[in-house]
Amino acid sequence: MAQAAAVHHGEHETSFWPLPTGLAVLFIPIALTAYFAWHMPLLGLVLGGVAAALLAVGIGGWAREFFTKGAEEGLGPIAVGAFIASEVVIFGTMFAAFWMGRIVYAGQWSAWIPSNLNLTLALWLTIILWASSATIVLAERAMGRNDRNASLGWIGATFVLGLLFVILHMNEWAHLAAGGFKLGANIYSTTFYALTGVHTSHVVVGLLIQIVLFVVIAARLMTPERVTFFRASSLYWHFVDIMWLMVASNAYLVGGLR
Amino acid sequence: MQEAVAVQTPWYRASFKEWVLTTDHKKIAILYAVTSLVFFAVAGLMGMVIRLELTSPGMQYVSPDFYNYLLTGHGAVLLLWWAIAFWGAFTNFLIPLMIGARDVAFPRLNQLSYWFFFSASILVLITLIPSQNIKMMWTGYPPFSLHDGAGPTALYVFIIWLIAGSTLGTGVNFITTVLRMRAKGITLGGMNLMVHGLMASIVIQLLGVPAFVGAVTMLFLDKYIGTGFFNPAVGGDPILYQHLFWFYSHPAVYVMILPAFGVFSEVISTMSRKPIFGRKSMVIALWAIAILGFEVWAHHMFTSGMPDWLRIVMSYTTVLIAVPTGIKIFNWAATLHKGAIRFHTPMLFTLGGIFMFLIGGLTGIPLALPSFDIHVHDSHFVVGHFHYVLAMAVTFGAFSGAYFWYPKVTGRMFPEGLGKASFWLMLVGSNIFYFTQMMVGIAGMPRRYADYPAIPEWVKLNEIQTVGAFILAAGVLLTFVAWIRGLKGPRVERSPWGSPSLEWTTPSPPPPQNFDKLPVEVPPGWSPYHYGR
Repeated sequence: MAQAAAVHHGEHETSFWPLPTGLAVLFIPIALTAYFAWHMPLLGLVLGGVAAALLAVGIGGWAREFFTKGAEEGLGPIAVGAFIASEVVIFGTMFAAFWMGRIVYAGQWSAWIPSNLNLTLALWLTIILWASSATIVLAERAMGRNDRNASLGWIGATFVLGLLFVILHMNEWAHLAAGGFKLGANIYSTTFYALTGVHTSHVVVGLLIQIVLFVVIAARLMTPERVTFFRASSLYWHFVDIMWLMVASNAYLVGGLR
Repeated sequence: MQEAVAVQTPWYRASFKEWVLTTDHKKIAILYAVTSLVFFAVAGLMGMVIRLELTSPGMQYVSPDFYNYLLTGHGAVLLLWWAIAFWGAFTNFLIPLMIGARDVAFPRLNQLSYWFFFSASILVLITLIPSQNIKMMWTGYPPFSLHDGAGPTALYVFIIWLIAGSTLGTGVNFITTVLRMRAKGITLGGMNLMVHGLMASIVIQLLGVPAFVGAVTMLFLDKYIGTGFFNPAVGGDPILYQHLFWFYSHPAVYVMILPAFGVFSEVISTMSRKPIFGRKSMVIALWAIAILGFEVWAHHMFTSGMPDWLRIVMSYTTVLIAVPTGIKIFNWAATLHKGAIRFHTPMLFTLGGIFMFLIGGLTGIPLALPSFDIHVHDSHFVVGHFHYVLAMAVTFGAFSGAYFWYPKVTGRMFPEGLGKASFWLMLVGSNIFYFTQMMVGIAGMPRRYADYPAIPEWVKLNEIQTVGAFILAAGVLLTFVAWIRGLKGPRVERSPWGSPSLEWTTPSPPPPQNFDKLPVEVPPGWSPYHYGR
């Protein structure tokens, strides 16, 4: 294990795929700056589109190269674990903002709670997301048995559940905002949208990873001996699901119960 | 067998295409080093303009608005591109060599991390356009940073995002590398102190940078989307930004200095030909500083408004940092004791770095006490203090490390005379400069202002500072000359300093696969500081 990396690096090893990905990394902030700060929305949208295309090319080529040229090293889950540790801190900043407002404005808080906050929906969202955590485990097990079709089916189910979560949640946001619970209305609304928004952005990233996973399995690039990528991505998905419990219990219960 | 390896093409023969697409940690290290040095020079020149402007009262060279941009650029670029990113070059070059690995765990991710850094560099260059000047200081405190007069907030936010992407990519990569790819026989505790220093700084970044990312993201949302994080009218609080910012940016100080501690340990041990004294306590002290560093952030905010109990707690934890740093300094002194000391350039820079850190550290202890800090807060005393630590101790450490591993990276020896001359100029210049800066601070001169009243004492002290700054700049220039001329210097064998550490057992410069024979294995009882005592 220790020297597994010796296997896949030829002499003067180079890889083309980080370059388009890196260009996308450069274009995305410039696109956002053009859109928001320079008031050039067209430039922003064009650059953003170019960046999305570059990202698709870069990630696609990267995944293909990883499975065709590389050797299994099993290092992914450690890296994802370290990455999750830093993600927890990002969520932590949003929790800090939420709690600072919740404690300092404890007296005024109940006046900020919108009357149309739907706690039942939060429960349904929890059930949906947690069901998707179960389906991705089933998908991983199916891949371990080399049952490609079952695995694809379960990944599809996970994706549909995740997408349902995102759609229901965005619908809920629109509903709340229409009722006067706007982004900058008060610190509760700001941190409510921040907590749930940061979380939903992670769900969306998880869905994109599942698309890559689906393609990789369907293209027969992944074999039962090379499932590290699968393990790493399902680890990330479990993290997103567990984080939802923290986010929902704070944003809906600590914030929303009178 | 040695000859067979030497035939293989070293890094400097690589084509342009190879440089752009490389996944080799040694080439990526050189990309980081070159980018970092270019920005070091530019931001250093910005500092010289600031210094010239402050030499005498009144505005002579720049407008107050541009002065604010210079302060922002000087601070942000020297902290992020020099004091942090130059260690990225050491991380990339040394860690795989020191733990006997072929490369890092994720070579492509390593290349992508450099592209993040490169993209951040491009955004910094965009801020050179006059309409895009960022004038919010490197701290970016709201409410000023939300104001249009502070320059484009978005660029500031995305510079931080991209730098964070780079450090997170590097972080997960090297944590995985060190945990899983060590050569057989090297335990976690048995690694070089340099690896411990770099890893401690990487772990701090992994857990600290996201706090900064969260803070600037809130800044972006407040400015462009209309949220109310920092808007007191709707229950927000600008102090929240300061807490989140310093939750990263105080530990960031240790991100910069802990690798320098690693260099000091390597160089002192090698140049005294003695195993490092109290090695276990050195490792524990490094990690203790890394952990304690997260408990002290509010000492930057003693005058920002916070409960008294928090001031007291943060004051105590700050003073506590002096314990592990003291342990390190005494251990270095004990290593020198009865050693066969050789005063080569790296050794001079290491001793100078420890001296500068001592002054910076000792002036930091009174600053940790709110009673004293409130008196000198936002004065040039604080500026002098952190330039002793961040500017000089870190730069001396970085120069020491760069001179020490120069023969390993290039396979050639730098001109020793130039290196030594550079050291003495830098030591004398920086002490004239920063000591007077602390004095003018005690005399009451506030920091960040472009102009000041013609108080005779202040004027004299500012003139002395400028003299010191020019001597310092001349010293830095000599080091650049030494490194460039060294590229044509005499060839060296594997281990010119006679260190038994793993990176010196491979040819200089190391071949593409790092070692003559893979996998690397070390004998039982192996130590990177084994000098037969």
